[in-house]
Parts: sequence; structure tokens; C-alpha cells
Amino acid sequence: MLLPALTLIARNPAREAAALHTLACWAGGLTPRISLTPDTLLLEIGGCLRLFGGLDKLVAAAQDGVHAQGFTLALAAAPTPMGAQWLARAGSARLCPDGESMRRHLEALPIALLPDKAAAALACFGVRTLGDVRRLPGAALARRIGMETLQLVARAFGEIPDPRADFVFPEQFALPLQLPASVDSAAALLFAARRLTSALAGWLAARQAGVREISLHLQHRQAETVLLLQFVDLTADGGRFERILRERLESLSLKAPVQSLRLQATNVAALAGWNRALFDDAHAEHDAIGALLERLSARLGERQVYRVSAHDDHRPEHATRHAAPFAKSAPGGPVPFPRPLWLLDQPQALADVDGRPWRQGPLKLLAGPERIESGWWDGGEMGSKTGEEMNEEADRKATGDIRRDYFIALSATSCWLWIYRECRTPGGWYVHGFFS
Amino acid sequence: MNTALSLAEILARPDVWRADRLAGAALPAFSVVPSGFSALDAELPGGGWARGTLAEVLVDDVGLGECALLMPVLGKMREESKWSLLVAPPHLLNGPAWAACNIDLARLAVVSPRRPRDALWAAEQALSSGALGTLLCWATDIDARQVRRLEVAVAGSRTLAFLFRPARARVESSAAPLRLLLSAGGHGMLGVDLLKRRGPPCSRTLHLDLPRPLQWREDYEPAVACTPSAAPCARSQRPLACV
Repeated sequence: MLLPALTLIARNPAREAAALHTLACWAGGLTPRISLTPDTLLLEIGGCLRLFGGLDKLVAAAQDGVHAQGFTLALAAAPTPMGAQWLARAGSARLCPDGESMRRHLEALPIALLPDKAAAALACFGVRTLGDVRRLPGAALARRIGMETLQLVARAFGEIPDPRADFVFPEQFALPLQLPASVDSAAALLFAARRLTSALAGWLAARQAGVREISLHLQHRQAETVLLLQFVDLTADGGRFERILRERLESLSLKAPVQSLRLQATNVAALAGWNRALFDDAHAEHDAIGALLERLSARLGERQVYRVSAHDDHRPEHATRHAAPFAKSAPGGPVPFPRPLWLLDQPQALADVDGRPWRQGPLKLLAGPERIESGWWDGGEMGSKTGEEMNEEADRKATGDIRRDYFIALSATSCWLWIYRECRTPGGWYVHGFFS
Repeated sequence: MNTALSLAEILARPDVWRADRLAGAALPAFSVVPSGFSALDAELPGGGWARGTLAEVLVDDVGLGECALLMPVLGKMREESKWSLLVAPPHLLNGPAWAACNIDLARLAVVSPRRPRDALWAAEQALSSGALGTLLCWATDIDARQVRRLEVAVAGSRTLAFLFRPARARVESSAAPLRLLLSAGGHGMLGVDLLKRRGPPCSRTLHLDLPRPLQWREDYEPAVACTPSAAPCARSQRPLACV
């Protein structure tokens, strides 16, 4: 045996087709018009050359994208689909911007590209290249090798039209990816998942949509692990998907080897276009903030990164709500009384010396009492869930019915405190916040 | 002649300052944000908080007015449509009170990491992203090397960075170009000592009249002398500045 270590893997047409389908989705980021043949991906790029700044740049973008996903690429560009397809299959990597150069390159191609039967017949006449075929008289040749073959050649040279069916982007995005071998390191998964995330980015670009939430399903032999990736804002940026995925995979310990992946976009919405201003970079800044907050919440946990909003509720524990960074929230009305900037998670009991509150010395009561009471409606029960607001924090502190007399107090160390006297038994003084 | 000329050129650079003068006189106006307190602005290099530098605020007690000191600059972020980020705040934020201070709650994000180490990571990420207007970070346990990292991360960006540390850190060296020690200034004022700045040492304590929940009255003065409390004792035992 010439190479004993060589492992032969049977060709798997189903997986090839799946890979080509994934690539077709990815190519949505380059052009909206894509056509899929069993072994070739055709991109109509005439309409988007200007967007990318020329053929060379577009081809470079395509090559980079395909290589980043771990595929090898045989690529060609030509004015006709058949011509480009043959040039690519011949491995010539020609970029022919006009018909003249395409004709020159096509004529040098071998006849092996034609259907097998016709190629064999032509070989018998001593014909070697497509150029030779074109020099033979057409009518006689059609009788001997069949009209279909000659039509193929005519399409390639642009002499008769060659309409192709457009690739229809799937309505829902859910792409599976069979891994070549089971993987037990999260870093290796990131590389494999890149195919899926770049396909998602292309699919979103083609649909002019953004996504707020995607889920990556890691399928083990028995079970499934689901990673839910959430974005603070609608996004269609493949780089962002990858960064968040990396943070999540780095902190993940795999319970079992992963056999296959599946990426699903669960929360897709149309992405509003924006006008690019000449000097104002507000949009870029908004994106930078989004990327930053996402990164923080991917590493630290979603509940750890939040925005606060004022909520209309007279009880101080309920007057603040935590919301996701870009979630919409209605602002609460102004409060007529001074309120402290900081609230303690749990009110702290104060020492009581001769009926006066004491914290590193006696506290001087400057203003009050302000009676805050009632709230029987959520006594011990969980608050209502509304929309995207993260109410868990508020729920945990469901105070229920309260009756307190609040005072603004000054400590011996000149700290401004917000304290209250519990009106219900057993009473006592508590510090609840700080006027910082 | 040549050397004299080049020395003059060097001295004219905005990042070069003479130790007997305040730095930042040549800084463009947009790189400095007025603090909102004229007494403080007069002593700060450039006449306000400089963007792209780390300011250390050393304070032990909560409730002295340490946030009120920064409210004007946080409110300024609303005009500039910039985001502010609070990293590891000491307590829960009371939304209505922050809103009442003219803070844009839609552009105020909070990070409360479970571990102190993560807070510094988050602060460094936030500073190096350059996307923020203001960053406030509370760190009880941070060493000189970590402060240096934050200072490097903020340098060159346009972020205003404030790091809150306990007052015991005043004896440690720090890479932050501006260090303030806060204390009770009496009469409802906030006392500010500029421990370090780009300029001559500031020996006097500034007294800033902060907005307080109530109009100050003289009879509010706490009777410290007759009730010795733990905190003033600790303060008097603290060693003076070490160099």
C-alpha cells in the first residue's frame, strides 16, 4: 500500500448538499441573487460590484468568507453562468469581466467538462478543447453528438439565454451541522459553529433582518445542550455572534462529546435601515455600546448587566425596575419628596439608644416623618411579569404590606441617611438608603 | 539658540506641564468637562474633569455626597447623548432619585458582577471599548498594578473614568493622575483634598456646597465632639501621606 495511514472516507452527497446550502445562506451577505446547482454555487454579482468596490474586492471577500468557514474554494467569474461554472470546475480561477476574455479562456478548456457521452464521441474526432468544438460545423455536429450538448456550449458562450432558478432563502433559520467526528472541546466547537453563524449573517443580510436571540443546540449521543445567545439589540453582525459564542463556549464544560450542532434564529425582526451621516458616528457608537454590554453579559450573566428605570410605586423597593439594556421602559413620574440614590438590598436594623436611632453615634433626624404604607395587593405573592422587564429582582423583594415612618437623618460622621421606624410590631429603627 | 527653541516647543505641548503650574492649560476645551463646582474647577488641571484620564475618589462612608459630586458630569452625558456605566456599585440604585438628578436612565447601564475580579475585567473592557461617556467603578480591593491597567485602558479614549476606593488607599501609590480624598466638610459641605494632580500640590481642603436633600441649617450640625464615634478615631490614627 502506498500510504498506509491514509483513511478513505466515502463521498457523502447529502452532506455536500447540506454544506452547499449553508454556503448559499452565507452568500446572502454578498448578493441577494444566488442559484444552486448540485455541485456549484452561482452568485449573480453584476448588481453589487459597486457596493463592494470592484470585482477584485468582492472576490477577496468571498474567498476570505469561505476559507474562514474551513472550506476550499474553486472560483471563477464570467458574464454567463455556464461559463463561470465551467471555468470554476476546470480550476482555472479566472476572473473574466467581459465576454471577450471569457471566450478566450473558455476555448482553451478541455471537452471533459461536457456530458460524458458527448465528450467520448468528440474525443474520437480528435477534438480536445471547447475551441475545437466551436470550429466544427454546427448542424452536422448536432446530428452526431446531440443538440443538448451544443446548447450547453452556446449558453456558456452567451449565444442563447440561460435562465436559472433563484435560490430561495428559507423562511425560518434552523441549520444543522453534522460534525465529522464527535468533539469534546468547546474551542473546536467554535470553529465548527462559525459556518453556522456566518450562514446566519448572510441569511439575515439577504432578508434585511436582524436577530435578537439565537440558540445553538449541541447534540450529544443521548441528550442535547442548548446555548441561548441574546443580544441587546437587533443585530446582523456575524462578528458579534462569534464573540458572544466564544464567551459562552469558553465558560461551558461539555458533559458529553458533541455529535452535531444546530443553529436556530428564534427572534428575527426586520432591521430598520439608517442613513450614513458624513460626520456623526452615533450609529457606530450605538453598535459599540451594544457590543460592549453584550460581551459583559455573556461573561458575567444576563442579570448582572442591566439598566434601571423609575417605576410609579410609592414603596421604595418597587420604585425601581431592572430592564435589559435596550429594552423600552416607560419612565415613572417624578417623586415630590427627596429620595436617596442608594437603597440597601435589605433594610439594616439600627441600634436604639433611649428611643433614638444610633449608628456610630446618635442620628439626628432632620426631616420627617413621611409615612409610607400599604401594599397588601402583592403581600408575599410574586409580582406580575410584564414584557421584557426583568422583574425577578423586584419579585424577590415582594414586601407586601408595609407601614413605615421615613426620616432623613444625619449621622455623627456627616453621612446623610434615609431611615425609617417600623410602625408595626415589633417596631424598631432601620436604615434603608443613603443620600450620596 | 536651537536648543532653547526646541525646549520652548516642548513646553508648549499639551501633554507637557511644569510642576509649578496646573497642567492642561493648552488642552482643547472639549477634552475637559466642567465639574459643576467652580471651587473645584479652579484647582483641577484644565479646569474640570479631563476626558481620557482616570480619577481616583477615596471615600470610606456612604452618604457623604460622593455621588452628588459627580451628578453634574453624569447629567452632562445626557446633552452629549453618551452612555454611562456603573461597575459594582455599593448598593442598589434607586431609579426615581437618579432620574430626579437629571440622569438619562435610558443611557445608564449597571454591571453588578458576583466576583470583585470580574468588576475590574468589566471596567477594563468598558474603558478600552471607548464607547462610554463616563465610567464609575467601585473597587474595595484593587492593587497598584490593576489601577495602572485601568489607567492604560482609559488613556487615549474620550471616557471620563472615576474609581471609588476606600480612604486607606491614600498611602498607596497609584497610577491615576488625579486623586481626591473626600471627607465631611462641616456645615453640610463636602471636603475635598486633592492628593495628587498634574500641577503643584494643593494643600488646602476644598469645601463644596453640594445639593443636599434639605436646605442646610446650622442646627443640623452633628455633635461629634461629645460623642466620639469610631470613624473619626480611625481617621486621626491614619498615617499622613507617604511618598
